[in-house]
Amino acid sequence: MTKKIDQFQKMLLIIIVIYSVFVSVKNPQFLQVQTVFDIVKTSSTTMIVAIGLLVVMISGGIDVSFMAIALFGSYTSLLVMINTGINSLVFAFALSMLIGTCLGLVNALLINWLKLPPFIITLGTQNLFHGIMTTFISDKSFGSGVLPSCLHEFGQGTLFKVATENGSAGLTVSLIPVLLAGIATYFVLRKTMIGRGIVAIGNDEESARRAGFNPFKIRLFVYAYSGALAGMMGIIYAAQVNALYPNKMVGDELMVVAAVVIGGTKITGGQGKIFGAVLGVLIIYLLNSTLILIGLSSSWNNLFVGAILVIAVAVTSYQERVKNRSHLIFTE
Amino acid sequence: MEPILCARNISKSFIGVRALNNIDITINAGEIHCLAGENGCGKSTLVKCISGVYTPDHGEVEISGEKYKNLTPIEAMNKGIQVIYQDLSLFQHMTVAENIAISKLKFEGNKTINWKKIKSIAKEQLNKIGVKMNLDETVGEISMANRQMVAICRALAQDAKILFMDEPTTALTKTEVDHLMKIMLELKKKGLAIVFISHKLDEVFTVADTITIFRNGDKIGDFNSKDLDEKSLSYHMTGREIEYPRYHRTCKDNSPILEIDHLTRKGQYEDISMTIRPGDIIGLTGLLGSGRTELAMSLFGLNPTQSGSIRINGKETSIASPMAAKKQGIALLPEDRFNQGLFIERKIKENISSALIDTICKKGLIRKAEEDTIAQKYVNELKVRTPSIETVVGTLSGGNQQKVVIGKWTATAPKVFIMDTPTVGIDIGSKSEIYEQIHKFADGGMAIIFISDEIQEIMANCNRVIVLANGKCIREFDENELGQDGADKIITDLIGSQSAEEVTP
Repeated sequence: MTKKIDQFQKMLLIIIVIYSVFVSVKNPQFLQVQTVFDIVKTSSTTMIVAIGLLVVMISGGIDVSFMAIALFGSYTSLLVMINTGINSLVFAFALSMLIGTCLGLVNALLINWLKLPPFIITLGTQNLFHGIMTTFISDKSFGSGVLPSCLHEFGQGTLFKVATENGSAGLTVSLIPVLLAGIATYFVLRKTMIGRGIVAIGNDEESARRAGFNPFKIRLFVYAYSGALAGMMGIIYAAQVNALYPNKMVGDELMVVAAVVIGGTKITGGQGKIFGAVLGVLIIYLLNSTLILIGLSSSWNNLFVGAILVIAVAVTSYQERVKNRSHLIFTE
Repeated sequence: MEPILCARNISKSFIGVRALNNIDITINAGEIHCLAGENGCGKSTLVKCISGVYTPDHGEVEISGEKYKNLTPIEAMNKGIQVIYQDLSLFQHMTVAENIAISKLKFEGNKTINWKKIKSIAKEQLNKIGVKMNLDETVGEISMANRQMVAICRALAQDAKILFMDEPTTALTKTEVDHLMKIMLELKKKGLAIVFISHKLDEVFTVADTITIFRNGDKIGDFNSKDLDEKSLSYHMTGREIEYPRYHRTCKDNSPILEIDHLTRKGQYEDISMTIRPGDIIGLTGLLGSGRTELAMSLFGLNPTQSGSIRINGKETSIASPMAAKKQGIALLPEDRFNQGLFIERKIKENISSALIDTICKKGLIRKAEEDTIAQKYVNELKVRTPSIETVVGTLSGGNQQKVVIGKWTATAPKVFIMDTPTVGIDIGSKSEIYEQIHKFADGGMAIIFISDEIQEIMANCNRVIVLANGKCIREFDENELGQDGADKIITDLIGSQSAEEVTP
């Protein structure tokens, strides 16, 4: 978080620009406002969880349960709202984020008590949360007719509209929660002691303890924060799709992990940037929605995402190795 | 001088083993106090008792007039006790400024971060010790010496009154050590008490006012450093006379094993030539960064050369990888034994067998009985002090760990054994045992390249010496020249010549 924008993010930006130019030459349709706005809209939900995951990864942990948390939070909140007739967006967000926070705390407590790697714990809780929801709460699907109307309005809401040849295209309001999440996370990581604690335990937990930080408390915060953002994402997702099925979202975790890693986050913790994570998500969605425009089938998508992930990790590790060599550490 | 810390009757046991036995120690303001003793003698345990990490079984600690039976680390820090551990406890990906200031701000109970304040704290502390550094660089990007300075500044930022330093000089070059010593003296003048642990005796005598010697958990005594010399100090530490016997080559075979000719890798070393015969112990000396480790890495296939040739037993060859080096009979004992020399969490026998796993395998399966026999043989031969060959290497002392690394490579019967600073962080007792082994290997016809910048060590072990500075060989000494009086002085001056160039670039 030292320099505003580093070499790595510059590279990601360049990739995005070059690829965009390439696509627009191949197919001018890409340049239409509608296409761009659509990409922003579909990627906005993922950006929120990516930011939450980034915080977890900076602390040296990993979370693969956030999609289950997002589903659990949003599904339960919507169920409550449908059954009681509450039609309030604030209520939906508040309840879903509260549930997300609680589930996140469960993750943190398990990691602390069992002293097991976060990957295994959250892999377990991912299935656990999902299972509890479908077994004990409900496994009915909510179609567009049953969802509270406030949700639909939010999902279709736009910040402003631009007139295009096919009518008008609007920029989604979902961008606001993304911005809020980004700014809040920047503030936490950069301007608060707990945020520096997150970075510190990601660098070296023992040293952080010696510097006076309490890794247990920090971990509680980190996973609760990631849980809350997941709860928020769940509601936005339901609003955009205007339906919610008890098998959605779960299964997309690793794509988000890939996005965050592509964004330059250290897998071992201690370093990572919000802007990088956002760019990582953008690259994946850009590929997702443009391959068809350049005449490739969507099966090429996995191939490209995989290749970019490997290249991104290789580049960071190469930079590390060059640095090590200058300190006379020969690892290869 | 006024005492700021008195510890009285400190005793501490771990699962029945006495680590400290009724220790009294007084630390005065404006004094540099050295704790000396072999590994496992209790000096680190004492530091941990005084800084509140361990609670002693008996005894009390009095800091500035207040008495504590159960001192906590927080209380100790509030009272101005700061410990710089050997690993420095810094945050690699955080900036220099933040590393210096973060603990202070955390202990003051700040909830938010003021980056301007962080910078001003860092600047103020760096000014105190007169060091200039780029505050925005991350700690991972700066040299070991600068990291040490950052750790010192962090302690000073927290109003340290007593600064404990555990082996502060192991990773530093000679110039850097001198600089650190100067800073220590400067801080002492300002009234700070510095307590440090070091195995390098010459450093101890350069800066220490008082030396407290420990042996097996007992305090032998407090000495004024002027009343001791290296010989009496090591006598008190070990309880016996330690004399390093001088090595003389007895091997009759004069055909060269390893010849290197004009070996060059730009920016690291240039135009290095040498011829090594069986039984030679060639001292390769020079400062950190003189090219000595880089050259060793090249001979072991880890650092490709750009030009020049290598001949083994008269045949020209290239060493492209450690595997190739092993096949040619070259072994390397790396400088960083913790990360590069050992599988620290594995058993002794697994470490010893690791370099010859191919030969003890039959149809892809390890023959366990043979592994045990080999491990036991080298544990006995090298006098590794361990309950059994099943013991995890990480639990051994530094000296015994190093013997395991040596055992691992001698098991492969190498023709050329490169040892990069084999006795770093090792106590005197183990040192002399390791020297003895090296002499035995050489007598048996092994050729050894011995890298070190400790002049006594070089003089005791080597029959030839090559001095490197800034990647170039600046002088070679043969047996006769080394035997002459004052050779050690000449070599010391030559080693120092690089640092002179560094100061005036």
